[in-house]
Amino acid sequence: MAGVSTKEIKARIRSMRSTRQITKAMEMVAASKLRQAQAQILKARPYYQALRSVIDDLAAGSDASSPYLYRAEDDKVLYIVIAGDRGLAGGYNSNILKLVTAESQGKQPAVLPIGKKAVEYFRSRNVPMLTTIYAQAADVSVGDCFSIAKLVSRAYLAGDYHRICLAYTVFGSVLSQTPATLPLLPLQTDPSEGTGRQIIYEPSAGEVFSAIIPEYLGGVIYGALCESRASEQAARRTAMDAATQNADDMIAGLSLKYNQARQAAITQEITEIVAGS
Amino acid sequence: MTPFPLKIVTPDGVCYDGMAQMLTVRTIGGDLGIMAGHADLVAPLGMGRATVVIDGQKRYAACMGGILSVTGGRVDLVPTTFEWADQIDAQRADASYQKAQQILSAKDASDTDLALAEARLKRALVRKNVASMK
Repeated sequence: MAGVSTKEIKARIRSMRSTRQITKAMEMVAASKLRQAQAQILKARPYYQALRSVIDDLAAGSDASSPYLYRAEDDKVLYIVIAGDRGLAGGYNSNILKLVTAESQGKQPAVLPIGKKAVEYFRSRNVPMLTTIYAQAADVSVGDCFSIAKLVSRAYLAGDYHRICLAYTVFGSVLSQTPATLPLLPLQTDPSEGTGRQIIYEPSAGEVFSAIIPEYLGGVIYGALCESRASEQAARRTAMDAATQNADDMIAGLSLKYNQARQAAITQEITEIVAGS
Repeated sequence: MTPFPLKIVTPDGVCYDGMAQMLTVRTIGGDLGIMAGHADLVAPLGMGRATVVIDGQKRYAACMGGILSVTGGRVDLVPTTFEWADQIDAQRADASYQKAQQILSAKDASDTDLALAEARLKRALVRKNVASMK
């Protein structure tokens, strides 16, 4: 191999090997965190479904007088955006952030970012932020989700925002995660489902709504957070797996080059000896 | 007593899914008892002791926040936290109670601190009360 000495190739192989070690380690860490996150999703899903069915029944059975059910204006939208704290997770962060930017075109968006990447992204674009105290997505607990829900529903009732949307990444499987937005408030109701059933509200319909909506939002946000966390780990695992494989390919290519160069050097030496004798 | 289907689900998983004969929970408007054949109902939950009668056996639990709903005879209890009496760590509840008392008696506590401590005190009291029932 002309130009590249065996020494240089050897150095490159060595640096490639250490990179590969890092990506391999990150992949394994992501895989173990993914297992935890998947277990959490499985536990949280029945809760979310139970909440959802209660709210559906409630919304279908009640009149549309509550501000939670109907609001005419729709230009001031608050997006609750769940992204990650760290990069190196394939398209996980950029996909969700791009989706929110595309959807909020032509409106007056504000965001409540969860995760460091989301905070940085919206700060650099000067999008107004409701609060940035949830900058560490990994630290957000169930209790925090309920605090967020209370904060958001208060702002909604006060008229600061006309629509509340939740942007998160749906965990389809280890290989497929899709970013999605979910409208939270006003509640989405299907008028055809109005059964006209008599439901007793304890103590009164208004009080039930104002007590239940924050609970419901908190549950939904927690569910979305679990999905997003699992998606992040899955995306990171896939990205790091690809990186490890690339490193393997490059090491194989470089080893071949190294052997060729070594062989060429030996051949040349023999030729010189034979020619000199 | 006629049994009815009861499902108790929290963010940490399903706590109970099966038949029960009676359920008593603390809602924001006071204690509420549910038996088979109850009319459709929705009520937000407060903080308090829940009693579930399963096969004639009374079981107690600390039940805080969330929603109770009855639809077509099916009862869904969706609380934020739900701990059966035997799962409660009485020592931890006691420590939490002491801590809350300390904050409440401090002179320079801020309003948010006081509100948090009050909620903490309530939770600790409910847990202590339920733990003593097992």
